[in-house]
Amino acid sequence: MNAVIDRREFLKQTALATATAAAAGGAFSLPVLGGQEGASLKWNKAPCRFCGTGCHVMVGTENGRVVAIQGDQKADVNKGLLCVKGYHVGLALYGRDRLTTPMLRKDGRLVPISWDEAINTIAIRIAASPKTFALYGSGQWTVGEGFAGNKFMKAGLGSNQIDGNPRLCMSSAVTGFLSTFGVDEPPGVYDDLDACDVAIMWGNNMAEMHPVLFSRLVDRRSRGEKVTIIDFTTRRTRTSDLADHLLLFKPHGDLAIANGVAHLLIRNNSFDRAFVEKHCNFRQLGAKPDEKTPPDMLGVPMTFEEYARAVEPYTPEKVEELSGVPADKIRMLGEMFGRRDLKINSLWCMGMNQHTRGTAINCLVHGIHLLSGHFGKPGDAATSLTGQPSACGTVREVGTLCHLLPGGRLVANAEHRKEAEELWNVPEGRIAAKPGYHTIEMFKRFNTPTDQGGDITTLWVQVTNPSQTLPNLQRNFLEKKSLGDKFLIVSDVYPTATTELADLILPSAMWVEKNGMYGNSERRTQHWFKLVEPPGEARDDCWQLIAVSHKLLEMGVDGMKGRDGKWIFHTAEKSGREVPIWNWAHYYDVNVDERLFEEYRPFTTKKHKNLAPYQEYVKARGLRWPVVQQPDGSWRETRWRFSEFDDPFVAKGREFQFYHSVSKDDKALIWFRPHEFPPEMPDKDYPFWLCTGRVLEHWHSGSMTRRIPQLHRAVPRAYVEMNREDADRLGIRNSEVVTVKSRRGQIDLPVWIGGRGDPKSGEVFVPFFDETRLINLVTLDEYDPYSRQPDYKKCAVTIVRKG
Amino acid sequence: MAGEPRPSRRDFLRGRLGRAGAEPHPRPEAPAAPSSGSHGAAAPGALGGALPASPSPDRQVGPRRQVTLPVHRPPGAVHEAAFLAGCTRCNDCITVCPVDAIVLAPARFRHAAGTPMIDPYTSPCRMCTDIPCIAACKPGVLRSDQPLKMGVAYIERAACLAYAGSFCTVCSEQCPVPGAIELLSARPHIRPDICTGCGVCAYVCPAPSNAIVVMPLADRAGAPSNAGPELT
Repeated sequence: MNAVIDRREFLKQTALATATAAAAGGAFSLPVLGGQEGASLKWNKAPCRFCGTGCHVMVGTENGRVVAIQGDQKADVNKGLLCVKGYHVGLALYGRDRLTTPMLRKDGRLVPISWDEAINTIAIRIAASPKTFALYGSGQWTVGEGFAGNKFMKAGLGSNQIDGNPRLCMSSAVTGFLSTFGVDEPPGVYDDLDACDVAIMWGNNMAEMHPVLFSRLVDRRSRGEKVTIIDFTTRRTRTSDLADHLLLFKPHGDLAIANGVAHLLIRNNSFDRAFVEKHCNFRQLGAKPDEKTPPDMLGVPMTFEEYARAVEPYTPEKVEELSGVPADKIRMLGEMFGRRDLKINSLWCMGMNQHTRGTAINCLVHGIHLLSGHFGKPGDAATSLTGQPSACGTVREVGTLCHLLPGGRLVANAEHRKEAEELWNVPEGRIAAKPGYHTIEMFKRFNTPTDQGGDITTLWVQVTNPSQTLPNLQRNFLEKKSLGDKFLIVSDVYPTATTELADLILPSAMWVEKNGMYGNSERRTQHWFKLVEPPGEARDDCWQLIAVSHKLLEMGVDGMKGRDGKWIFHTAEKSGREVPIWNWAHYYDVNVDERLFEEYRPFTTKKHKNLAPYQEYVKARGLRWPVVQQPDGSWRETRWRFSEFDDPFVAKGREFQFYHSVSKDDKALIWFRPHEFPPEMPDKDYPFWLCTGRVLEHWHSGSMTRRIPQLHRAVPRAYVEMNREDADRLGIRNSEVVTVKSRRGQIDLPVWIGGRGDPKSGEVFVPFFDETRLINLVTLDEYDPYSRQPDYKKCAVTIVRKG
Repeated sequence: MAGEPRPSRRDFLRGRLGRAGAEPHPRPEAPAAPSSGSHGAAAPGALGGALPASPSPDRQVGPRRQVTLPVHRPPGAVHEAAFLAGCTRCNDCITVCPVDAIVLAPARFRHAAGTPMIDPYTSPCRMCTDIPCIAACKPGVLRSDQPLKMGVAYIERAACLAYAGSFCTVCSEQCPVPGAIELLSARPHIRPDICTGCGVCAYVCPAPSNAIVVMPLADRAGAPSNAGPELT
């Protein structure tokens, strides 16, 4: 209770009346500083700009500026608490070097140009060669932006060359959900954190990456509840400090661990036979993919007996050998899963997704939850946490990937294309059947001379920083510098590593400088309104897409017209008069975001991802789909999908129903996937494993957080975490600058020994936020064959002392 | 794009880790800062050495009382009266400081104005191992035989993220004095006997309202008992 009293006391002292709401339900909030409570200070809701947790903040604005930020007490996700980034999110708008004018590279130098010239330049490039134009978007795109981009490419240009950075971050989770349930996104929600008895972190440093959710979990202990935290990790982290069991495993050993649990469930006969018989089928991989056989995510059926035989070799002792986790700990885990009285919540993020066997480990973790019946009840869930604020809401749901259509539909499916063409009101046959290039392929082709197969010549990047975040940067992006005929367009808010390469830079509005919607990790669709004007000539990313589309229409590019001969983004007032939304002066005459969202909504009912009308989100702190209208006209969100007690789409009496089942019989799939070794492992020349990741204070490539003084001071630069034994052996002192070198590249970094994270001997860790020290020059670009998501967590490096 | 800003010496040595490289981007100006006015000139915890406000004229009776609140001096400073008497205002310590931590006390310090001091919220002392300011001090008011203690830091728990349900260990990570900030149950605790009052923790604290208060040492060694009011 001390904290509460102290805070009240503090509030009295500082006479700030803005955060007087006392902590409710064990949540906390810190007082707001910077704003003076007064008639001119206005508070509005918005989801935080940074990670995929989806905390809500209250944004205080005064005289056209964001002047204060406060955790939103009304928000279910964070109940008023924020992490250190969230408290400073308002500052992300006010870095001194915001981009404020379009700039075109002329004779090697960037010169300011007008928006007309910029839009015209892009339209000419696209019109000259629409099929070699690609759009690379982001999990930070708002729902409207992603929808507009997807429509522009697929229903306008008839091209599937659109992908997004969630390919690098979430796509193995997607393939895991699709393989298991036939439909993307977690069945569970954050409420499971409040109800579980055991929380398992699968290679997940939740205390730093999703700190508010981790607070929600550990805060239960302060209320006298028992929650056992099991931390599976390859290095000791801040999460480990609060875990009951720290289980350090060898990189890539997670596959063996999950199979070990399945082995024990069957050997001890402690699996949930009734659940499995009623609701599950078993699957394994079919023919191994090669040049002729594309990777097949659907696999081939197997019987329970075959499955049992497949996991038979994964005895605790064998798993210890493969993973390094002691056999008795594997037994402990097997026993926990075997108990029906415990509620188990598995949580993961990039540790399982950025993995050359990402789909496999995702399937295996779902598999042990299904096998043991730890599914579909509050507290019993396997949930992947996203890294970006709208990786789910925009990229996965709106389908801004090269093979998807909105609502979880596929470009390769003729029926899906036909439906989408009808909803978009474009001529039949407009949408191309062949998927475009996934991210790595897209960039490789942009990075290759056009006459040598580099058939992407113009690339438009929005809301992301691939020149810092792609793996193996030299091979995948940086060659572009020397390729004269390639044209890179970058929409961003600050100069980044990517704008350095750009031929045309477009200054964008960000966050509360525009209307927007995001969708977080727990299927929660969130809404905010524009609160302040963007600086200078910065404009919405969505407007940029729409303006280019209209320019192409003016130039007579056929695809910009629908069946009725009208422009694909035709927007009219109620009277029928067209609103010229391509003209920035009129863009906010209507709420374009609402129009796009309402156009998107019919897509969402195709795969039971139903969304409510826009106005419902205006009122709410987000709603979790499927959101279904009740007989009384109200809209009800769904927390646990596929469970009869909560999911309105489950037939009465079924208890559980996997209504998008891959096997078409309403059953989920339990997969067997073998343990395999990673493509690159430490050897004599490169004896260390390299793992990359984030830190609490910085968000992804740091383009926003490094401009926030408090966050930048807290962690001013990247470093390499080393184990003390290794450092002693090599004679390396703390803070000494060493070279981290792989077969692909090298960078110099100061060493941090015994720091926030502590890798095992033989491993090092480097955060990727620092644009002055690009660790992705070193990383490997091998990817999962099903999700095409690269593995940033494992490659072989050597540490070389300098001088 | 605009060229990389030139690294200043302060940038060069910022942070305990990796003594190389500059801050990559210009920082937002202090007035632009929403939600966090706490690192600016008007930092709430910046108690460094200010004299009390002038008493109102009608309350002024008799000769003006000389009240001295402690000034946040560089490491190794002698007793305050001796310091004021001995310091020649030569600025050598300011010139040699590799992190621009030492500044001239502004006018509000009255008789101490123009003497070297540290404002930890703007630029803290980084506790150099070779202590160039002491080596440069010709009049000897910074002395190597004096304790390096400049003051002591306190954590205002009500403002600290780690005590408010969030996670933060930045102060303990960046503290240049081993053992001065301990983590107990993932929350920082300052050991006043080890803390030197360098102010790095206050400088790096990322809480919305700076959670660290740095108090300059009230009575440096050898100070006569009547040197000033006790700060407790």
